[in-house]
Amino acid sequence: MAESMLSLVGLEVRRGMGVVLSDFNLEVASKDVVVLHGENGSGKSTVIESCARLLPLEKGSIQHHGALVVDAEGRRIIPTQPFGLTLQSNGLLGDETVENHLSTVCSLSGMKTDLLPMLESYGLAHRRHDRIGLLSGGQARKVAVLAGLLPAMLSSKPRLVFLDEPGTGLDKSALAALVSDIGQLREAGHAFVIASHHPELMKCATRLHDLKSESFQEQTPCQPWKANGVEEDARLLSTKVGHRYLRSTRAGLARNGLTALLVLGTLLAFVDPLSIENTALLVGFVFAAPFAAGLAGDPVVHLMRESRAVDWWRAHVNRIPNADFFAPVLGFIFTTLGCLLLLDAFNWKLSLIGAGILWATLTCVRFIELSTLRLARPNAVFIRLLLPILILPWALIVDFAATL
Amino acid sequence: MRRRAPEIFLGLGFAGIMTTLYLGLNWAPSVSIDAFESPAAQRIFYWHVPSAWAAFIAFGVLFFGSVLWFFKRSPLGWRLHVAGTEAGLACGLMAVWSGCVWGAAEWGTPWDWSDVRLNTFGLLTLLALFLVLGRQSQPDGVETRDTFSTFGLYGFVLVPLTYVATRIWQIRHPGPVIAAGDDGGSLQSSMALVLLIGALSFTVFIIGHMLISMRITHLEQRLEQAQKSLDGGN
Repeated sequence: MAESMLSLVGLEVRRGMGVVLSDFNLEVASKDVVVLHGENGSGKSTVIESCARLLPLEKGSIQHHGALVVDAEGRRIIPTQPFGLTLQSNGLLGDETVENHLSTVCSLSGMKTDLLPMLESYGLAHRRHDRIGLLSGGQARKVAVLAGLLPAMLSSKPRLVFLDEPGTGLDKSALAALVSDIGQLREAGHAFVIASHHPELMKCATRLHDLKSESFQEQTPCQPWKANGVEEDARLLSTKVGHRYLRSTRAGLARNGLTALLVLGTLLAFVDPLSIENTALLVGFVFAAPFAAGLAGDPVVHLMRESRAVDWWRAHVNRIPNADFFAPVLGFIFTTLGCLLLLDAFNWKLSLIGAGILWATLTCVRFIELSTLRLARPNAVFIRLLLPILILPWALIVDFAATL
Repeated sequence: MRRRAPEIFLGLGFAGIMTTLYLGLNWAPSVSIDAFESPAAQRIFYWHVPSAWAAFIAFGVLFFGSVLWFFKRSPLGWRLHVAGTEAGLACGLMAVWSGCVWGAAEWGTPWDWSDVRLNTFGLLTLLALFLVLGRQSQPDGVETRDTFSTFGLYGFVLVPLTYVATRIWQIRHPGPVIAAGDDGGSLQSSMALVLLIGALSFTVFIIGHMLISMRITHLEQRLEQAQKSLDGGN
């Protein structure tokens, strides 16, 4: 019997006020292509997103390669083996280039490869240096589908691949390439769970599942896919990717840097530092800029709200790309600037504290913002009403710093 | 009679609050002119302290409801969460507003960002405002309920912190009045009586408020169910 790669046991998942999946069981083995083809609202995407650890379970558990990844007790563990994922929304960042995004996907699997042949087969080779935001809807979908297939394409070990409506928006040749790739990857031992009604994709299934019952299909053997990845060290990937997003978009400067600059400029417009003898007040003015910049939130998380990119990342890692490197640097710069303009002297201790203030504030804001991501309309909640919680700690730090 | 209980509670509570206001402004003795910058403003305490007390009760209900929903998926728990949030917001705003009025008269500033009690209570009120506005902005569902219950659970940490704030870290806010232990002995009996009437009235009022809120939430859920049936869903 083939190795069990995915195991869903007694799954119950709720969405909205309804129970979408109830006592749902599924075992997926190597060389299985399970196509979920139930009616709209029957729970196909729910199965995919549950497998990718994006939805909490009311009951049951999910295992990848025999190891628990999510259960009803709230455990959410990073899978030991990388997996491929294409969500119904592309999960792509418009400011990334095609090549950069796919290289990041490779790094998430701890691999690297020459992407050109794969880009050629999907008609994307000439677009590899373009930003995803400039592509057509169909081209962006191809990138998302290719990103889902890559972990399997790179690896000689069996990988799980989850594809949610991969055929939507693809042209004939791209669809043919996808069907061919699925067949070859299946022969190489990889396993697929695909949510789709597309006739072409249903034809390449070994098991057709309508979420109530399933039927089996024979597939003619074909040439197995030849893995083409080389192992690569991918430490600190989230920090590196976050930094790359910021470098390519300048979002950190536009969002946090400008906020700090406006605060500092406003203070200088109304305050004459020479007329103020209260040190605590002056130090408060110096720390106002990094604090305000931190309250503006993590610019990387803000960028990743586009087409569910945050969810795509959350499925793969527990620590999503962030501005953890950028924040203290910006804090140091603006506190130093504030010291020079308001205190007329450079104080390295204050500059370091300022760097810490911006980093800590930004981290808290990120935590609060991410905790509302599960909502149906996360942008509609008044999350910033909770930010005054940071004023008291900031005031205490100002009091302390004034004594230095 | 039982169906009318919320309205009866609300009516009794309202009458009690009006009585407290009358007694506080006209009957209770004035405080010593040496102890306060603005002795007349101190009379707002007969409104401020009972409303803060009622807000704590509401926040307790919010926490209890959040626990019931989050761990037991109890619909009653969610109704308690909603009722506690709305009542907590109403009473929290009353306490914050009256506190600001007194602070402006006594301290010369309505708010002090470095005082722990002021900030933690202000945050509790902002949390209630966040939950009320947030709930209105989202479709009802397990995602909405889970997220807001989590905020209700974590937010409750502020309640004991607010309670002990003036005991361990008194900056501007006066020390405890209700459940003050030995320190509360200096309060004159007539003042204590008015405060007691106020606390009881606000408690009765808040119970009525929460019962009506729970009834409204229940009716909203029934309406949504009926609309779904008309849509052809289950």
